[in-house]
Amino acid sequence: MSDECDDQTATGCDEALENLYLYLDSELDTVTSDRIRSHLDDCKGCVHSFEFEKRLKTVVKERLDEDVPDVFVSRLRDALAREAAGDTK
Amino acid sequence: MADQANFSQDALQYNRQLYSAAMRMTRNPADAEDLVQETYLKAYRAYHTFTEGTNLKAWLYRILTNTYINKYRKDARRPNEVDLGTVEDLYLYRRIGSEASAEASRTTEERVLDGLVESDVKEAVEELPETFRMPVLLADLEGFSYKEIAEILDIPIGTVMSRLHRGRKAMQKRLWEFAKERGLLPEGAEKP
Repeated sequence: MSDECDDQTATGCDEALENLYLYLDSELDTVTSDRIRSHLDDCKGCVHSFEFEKRLKTVVKERLDEDVPDVFVSRLRDALAREAAGDTK
Repeated sequence: MADQANFSQDALQYNRQLYSAAMRMTRNPADAEDLVQETYLKAYRAYHTFTEGTNLKAWLYRILTNTYINKYRKDARRPNEVDLGTVEDLYLYRRIGSEASAEASRTTEERVLDGLVESDVKEAVEELPETFRMPVLLADLEGFSYKEIAEILDIPIGTVMSRLHRGRKAMQKRLWEFAKERGLLPEGAEKP
């Protein structure tokens, strides 16, 4: 949190936090992204929050992933094969 | 122009992702299977319009999303806004961090991230109004770029960003509630 922040340039923290998701989503231009990365090298507080959000993103992705039932995949293949054969039930 | 003969080979590899997204959209396996199958059949029939070398996965998602909207949305009259009240950015992180020393909050972070089970995350996403759920799924489950999401959902990129932002916040708020219910937080961490 901010009380752990070692970087004296508060603007660095502001910019980093403002762009946190853009950074994690790889949506920033290289210059901004590099500037934030270098801020993160110096700022434990920001690194802490970035790491948390990054892990949360991974956790969300992992837990949303579903196993597709095998029988469904076969059914899907069959349906496409029937469609290709011109037999659209 | 893509060759229909190659469709299965090109497109079936995405069945797991499409099915996962369909499960979060329809909330049940039978409808998810129907939705994915219909998506593949439509895609097959339209495959000659797909430009080879462009983004096939995004193209399939666009069909999935449109099919879902046309077929299921009318059944589900759900609010299309999220009440975020005073939910600030980094909601979950700040809630955890406001309670304790840096070290103690790290321990709690671990416990929360490990302790939230599949059904918590799924429910937190499924409860989001569709307007917010779609961008969250496309970004966090599929890793699509904002530009791709804008194309899939046919909305401006700025709208993608604001919906994603609000959707993630609402999801974090719900995850915090699950963390509380599951006793993942230290004593006294309940106050807002």
